[in-house]
Amino acid sequence: MLDPQDEVFSIRDILDSQLLTSDGRRIGRVADIEAEVRTDDGLILTYLVAGPQALAGRINTHLRDLFRFFFRDRFEQRIPLSEVTKFGPTLHLRGKAKDYAVGQSDRWIAEHILRWIPGGRL
Amino acid sequence: MKKQWTSIALGIVTAIGGFLDAGTIATSGEAGAKFGLGLVWIVLVATVAVILLVEMVGRFTAVSKKTYAEAIREDFGFRFYLLPLASEVIAESMLLAAELGGVAIALSLFTGISWHILFPFVALFVWIIIWRGSFDLIENGPALLGLVTLSFLAGIVALGGIPAQLLPTLWHPSFQQGTVADYLYLVAAILGSTISPYLLYFYSSGAREERWTGASLLLNRVTAIVGMGFGSMGSLALLVLAAIVLQPLNISASTLGELGIAMAKPFGIVGSLLFASVLFATCLGAALEVVLAVSYNIAQGFGWEWGENKKPAEAARFNLVMTIFLLIAVAIGLTGIDPLQLALFASTIISLFLPISLSPFLILMNDPQYLGKKTNRRFTNIAMVCILVLAFLVALISLPLEIITGGG
Repeated sequence: MLDPQDEVFSIRDILDSQLLTSDGRRIGRVADIEAEVRTDDGLILTYLVAGPQALAGRINTHLRDLFRFFFRDRFEQRIPLSEVTKFGPTLHLRGKAKDYAVGQSDRWIAEHILRWIPGGRL
Repeated sequence: MKKQWTSIALGIVTAIGGFLDAGTIATSGEAGAKFGLGLVWIVLVATVAVILLVEMVGRFTAVSKKTYAEAIREDFGFRFYLLPLASEVIAESMLLAAELGGVAIALSLFTGISWHILFPFVALFVWIIIWRGSFDLIENGPALLGLVTLSFLAGIVALGGIPAQLLPTLWHPSFQQGTVADYLYLVAAILGSTISPYLLYFYSSGAREERWTGASLLLNRVTAIVGMGFGSMGSLALLVLAAIVLQPLNISASTLGELGIAMAKPFGIVGSLLFASVLFATCLGAALEVVLAVSYNIAQGFGWEWGENKKPAEAARFNLVMTIFLLIAVAIGLTGIDPLQLALFASTIISLFLPISLSPFLILMNDPQYLGKKTNRRFTNIAMVCILVLAFLVALISLPLEIITGGG
């Protein structure tokens, strides 16, 4: 039974939600959700997924396969659902931005591209 | 109180950059030169639409604390979000090239150097401002410069007002210089250049950048009416000037530079310089807004860190997108297409895409989840739907006609 204290969400509420870290940085949005079938608990949501393949899959399943062929899972990142401290259109995460693989491209771009442009260093 | 004044400033700069830009200058100038006052009515229709729209986006952001791009992605999902995103990127990259060209032409009117040579420097200048400038600078700088637009009104007065023989063209446009295809093309382009969707992305993000709480929705309404009214006045004044000066001379205003003649007639060399100043200020303001609007849209849609007041490295993906988008526009501009023709074409494409870019907004504006009791009234919905359908149909008819007849 559902505890009346618990908030009930549909998948749609979680998909596309903003991921916000505890240090206040927007690292990305939820592209997909993973679930596991467990013998005693039934279907359990386990991971939030971000990455180009997952996004491509939102457009068309075949597109996801095509993207996987090119990216080979390199940019696909998962965040355990247990990391979420607050649900809603913005998902508040327990850790800081540096703790998550999602959004590391921000740092990579800053360190490898922007630093060569005058005024681009932190 | 200071917040209130800044939000008025936000409205007015959005009016100047958003209402008056390469697109509106091109369309109003060409409309006046080709059809006398025959297209005044559509400028008025577009003004009503943009006032409604700016009021709506202010209300939306103030009440929901969300930007338009965030709301589309969250409410309509990723797949749908790609539609307004794609239409925005395609149309606005052409428009941005036209805005940069407009600035370059303005500078060439001052210096006599060919605008083709100045173009890359203008792009670099715009890039430096967006790279390190603050939101305040972008907002207030062009707003002050844009006040020069009032000189168009002075021009009409100096020429002795609107001649009586021009008045019948209000309801009976003269087709001496232009064809029906041109007329329809301009109707679409005026709608597309005035009701630019980038306003929505820029305005809603700007309100968040300024942490605008929108305590007074009345203030929001006043800002929309005054700001957009000001922009519309400048646009109409140029149309009338072009009708008074250019039409009798059989100048069809096929380049932005030719429009300067409209101001040279009443004020001589000073008039040309005033026109160049208006062109400079409005195109620069619009160029900055377009770059920011598209980058806001992408960063918010994908959930990245964004903000013009942050250092580039603090919002790296946002800043990279701004730079790349500017480079795309530079590539388009370097093909050498005249900015006026490019602005007309981009505006008509925007007009064609208006249903895609604005229908999600109308749906959101009627969603109590976002707006509580502040959802749209029925009149606003009906008016907007009519204008969107009109824009789409006219663009759909006029684009092929214009391409067949060779444009301009």
